[in-house]
Amino acid sequence: MRKTFRAGAVAMLAAAAMLTAGCSGTSGTGSSGSAGDPDQKVELTYWAWAPNLDKVVEVWNEKNPNIHVTVNKQDGGDPAVTKLLTAVKAGSGAPDLIQAEYQKIPTMVAADALADLSGTEANETESHFPDGVWDSVTLGGDALYAVPQDTGPMVFYYRADIFEKLGLSVPTTWEEYAQAAKAVHAADPEAYLGTFSSNDAGWFTGMAQQAGASWWGVDGDAWSVNIAEDPTQKVAEYWGGLVEEGTIDNKPMYTPEWNTALNTGKQVGWLSAAWGPGVLSGNAGATAGQWKVAPMPQWDASKPSTGNWGGSSTAVTTQSKNADAAAKFATWLNTDPEAVKALVKETGIYPADNEGAKSALTEAPEFFANQPDFYDVVGDAAQNVGSFTYGPNVNVAFNAYNDEFAKAAQAKQKSAFASAVESMQQVTVDDLKQSGFTVK
Amino acid sequence: MAMTATKPGPAADTAAGTPRRAKNFKSRVLIPYAMLAPGIILFLVFMAAPIVYTLVLSFQKKKVSGLGLGKGSQSQVFAGFENYVNALTDPEFLGSVLRVLLYGLILIPLMLGFALLFALLLDSRRTRAGSFSRTAIFLPYAVPAVISSLLWGFLYLPGVSPFHFLARQFGVALPSLLDPNLVTFAICNIALWGGVGFNMIVMYTSLKAVPSEIYEAAKLDGCSEIQTALRIKIPIIAPSLVMTALFSMIATLQVFAEPTTLRPLANSLSTSWSPLMLVYRDAFTRNDVYSAAATSIVIAAATFIISFLFLRVVQKRAFGQEN
Amino acid sequence: MTTLAPARTAAAKSPRSSTGAVSAHEKPSYLSTGILILGALYCLFPVIWVVAAASKDGNELFSTFTLAPSTHLWDNIAALTEYRDGLFWRWMANTALYAGVGAVMSTWVSALSGYVLAKFDFPGKSGIFKVLLMGVLVPGVILAIPQYLMLAQAGLTNTYWSVLLPQIISPYGIYLARIYAAASVPGDVIEAARTEGAKELYIFNRIAAPMMLPGLVTIFLFQFVAIWNNFMLPYIMLGDDHLFPITVGLNGLLNQGASAPALYTLVLAGALLSIVPLVIMFLLLQRYWRVDLAAGAVKA
Repeated sequence: MRKTFRAGAVAMLAAAAMLTAGCSGTSGTGSSGSAGDPDQKVELTYWAWAPNLDKVVEVWNEKNPNIHVTVNKQDGGDPAVTKLLTAVKAGSGAPDLIQAEYQKIPTMVAADALADLSGTEANETESHFPDGVWDSVTLGGDALYAVPQDTGPMVFYYRADIFEKLGLSVPTTWEEYAQAAKAVHAADPEAYLGTFSSNDAGWFTGMAQQAGASWWGVDGDAWSVNIAEDPTQKVAEYWGGLVEEGTIDNKPMYTPEWNTALNTGKQVGWLSAAWGPGVLSGNAGATAGQWKVAPMPQWDASKPSTGNWGGSSTAVTTQSKNADAAAKFATWLNTDPEAVKALVKETGIYPADNEGAKSALTEAPEFFANQPDFYDVVGDAAQNVGSFTYGPNVNVAFNAYNDEFAKAAQAKQKSAFASAVESMQQVTVDDLKQSGFTVK
Repeated sequence: MAMTATKPGPAADTAAGTPRRAKNFKSRVLIPYAMLAPGIILFLVFMAAPIVYTLVLSFQKKKVSGLGLGKGSQSQVFAGFENYVNALTDPEFLGSVLRVLLYGLILIPLMLGFALLFALLLDSRRTRAGSFSRTAIFLPYAVPAVISSLLWGFLYLPGVSPFHFLARQFGVALPSLLDPNLVTFAICNIALWGGVGFNMIVMYTSLKAVPSEIYEAAKLDGCSEIQTALRIKIPIIAPSLVMTALFSMIATLQVFAEPTTLRPLANSLSTSWSPLMLVYRDAFTRNDVYSAAATSIVIAAATFIISFLFLRVVQKRAFGQEN
Repeated sequence: MTTLAPARTAAAKSPRSSTGAVSAHEKPSYLSTGILILGALYCLFPVIWVVAAASKDGNELFSTFTLAPSTHLWDNIAALTEYRDGLFWRWMANTALYAGVGAVMSTWVSALSGYVLAKFDFPGKSGIFKVLLMGVLVPGVILAIPQYLMLAQAGLTNTYWSVLLPQIISPYGIYLARIYAAASVPGDVIEAARTEGAKELYIFNRIAAPMMLPGLVTIFLFQFVAIWNNFMLPYIMLGDDHLFPITVGLNGLLNQGASAPALYTLVLAGALLSIVPLVIMFLLLQRYWRVDLAAGAVKA
């Protein structure tokens, strides 16, 4: 026994030596060579979490042997940003490129993590994108911090078969949505038209945006925080009322339980974004052909609007030694017709590039084969996205959303939803002040 | 230990004169320190230095000029005890401490009680299926907390849980363990599941080391098996119980993975449920390492004081025989 | 802590023989056997559940009774193997590397330190031991951030080293090793070897360490499980998912981000597969837990 134990240890040590020797050479994130020499081969690392993005990058690598991009798959938007900020603090370890959600850009800029691309060819792409999207990568100034990749205009997905069975028509206003919710729950006490999810701050932000909210603002050298104002209060109280009545579920989305409910028809609708088909087909593939998409219910049917849930851009980090090459790649990835087409096909995103969206999105996604005009509905929604300013501590506000609205959803009281909004405002302002920002 | 009494005097004593002193220095100081070097260096680099670094961070804070965007607009300045004052007066921190105390009060007696019960049953000569049970109860120790919390999470959610499914067949509506008033028990259960086997093995090993003559004597005296367990076995393994209690207390103060994994499944857990979750949130979600560092130091100091007091009380029993 | 009782009691007395031999002539107790089996079932239940769950396809997972097994276990494993060109097995190999090599190195360092602290007499000994012991109290979550910042200075983040190196030092392992060495390595054996002119390191590697072996297996297992369980350190250190251990990898599959569905079937199949090697290792090394210190104490 002693002998075998030792032999095992030796074998493992040998394996360790081999593995570490084999990998430590390629695992560094720094890039070698100067960008000035066009013949010099450049290696770029790219942190991203969109599924299958590496397949799109392969297309680039084949065409550009001198600028080779390696995708390092991340767990998601939050962990990637966390790691990037830690690497920036440490002074090394950051990738050249990162997939950056729009709401994270001010936080990353504040931490000096993103390179200014206004002097690169990426600055020429302004005409490709809707104004609101362009604002969120420039923060309204002269600098350019990222190239927009995709957006998440919000729409309403619903189970057409169940709506038909219950004789319901698709709600066009929030009032009708509340009535439909009541009807669905009355017909089956276990079924709900939707759920209020305290886990998904981005979802709630999108709905506040639809109602006309913009949570941060810039006034000279000061920030303002406008969470606890009419539009957001209106949205919170509306949902608080539905949860209090019990006609809307109060459990988070993206849990095994929620997945089950999507499969078994106990969640009859989903207020989501343009990327919804990917989630639905992955979690409830057997219900394909039973769903349909419609525009968001409206506060004022005469002035249709919607918000964004999710969406991200491609940014270059301040630690990249080849910012020009990285900007070249980011520009190609998000504006070249072939790249945008590949993005749509492989990753299932809704591209931010206006022309790209039009030419790439001609056919409805497979999951919605029953609805040929799928992208007409989504495309119209994309035109109605209001503007929204994110501040430097979105992370704090979103975290406060998680904690405060979890309590409110648990309490099932309309008044608790209203005070959750007040608490969010308070926590966000306090944090800015404590960090030394001027708050107006 | 016993053999030190019988061994011949140190070799150095038999050597003579000046070389003796030189040799003495070499064997008494250089050699032991050289052999301890790997341990000491690793300790200094990977434990001591990070702690010092955390201490340094805990006295700093972030300073912003203007909108705080762009290069050089944020800097690090000395904060004095500000972070500590904030941590110690933060109702969220105090709340997390209270929650974890309650959690420990429920978990530790249950876990050690069951571990002791199973260990005594395993040690009993009248118990069958011992090796199967021992393996089965120990098995969860090998499952990482992240994975075990995921598994239990599935078993807790009313919509997917087999328990709720069965209860529904009989027309009973079980309450969800993820409700706010029950969620502490849900987390305790995961920790109990993962920890009872380990503690059982520790106690069982101690029991096995007790010579059987003692039990034979007890039996001749007419002690029943339960009496033997209570009057002889438990006192003999008391030092083991003390140490398992101490390590369980430390683990309790550091509970993190279970509530973090369960949190997205329900509304009942906040991102500051336990002190370490609060540290993680401040450091990573709020990007404020300075507050996180101060809170970490407070937690480490509290752990240290509690362990020290606890060991003080039982020190004689735990360490007395060793030197 | 396994060892405290032996350290106290086993010095002179002999341990009992194993239960199996003695129990033959005792009457079995249904009550105590029953309680023990209930405990075993409680511990096995989630494992049985994951076996059933890992055998379902994506739609069955959320639509059929959770304990009813299905037939897709093999499909799920195949899908998991296909996922990004066999990345899952890379994670398994990484985990074996981190936990296996890390635990071997940690055991050696712990054994050497514990042996010196138990068997040598030198100035500063008890101070060093106390400081090392305090390390037991420091939560790993707290160490991970400064460790990252320091390793980043050295350019070592996102490498195998960044996960291996910080986990070699184990105050608890040193504490255990010290007790094992005190109990199982007789001083006169060391003296005899020294008299014959053996080097100190040779004495440790060839004479003392083998005597401590049953105890060292315990330290190895402790450390193996500790590294296997440590989620935070690799999570922070590693950016390239080809370097991930299994826990971080599976967590990533579970939290794909808002716009992609969590890959529950893959995660569950992965969770099941990840437990298997540990179970096998524990079954193989289990007898060392049984003999454990008792064996060392007899020799002493």
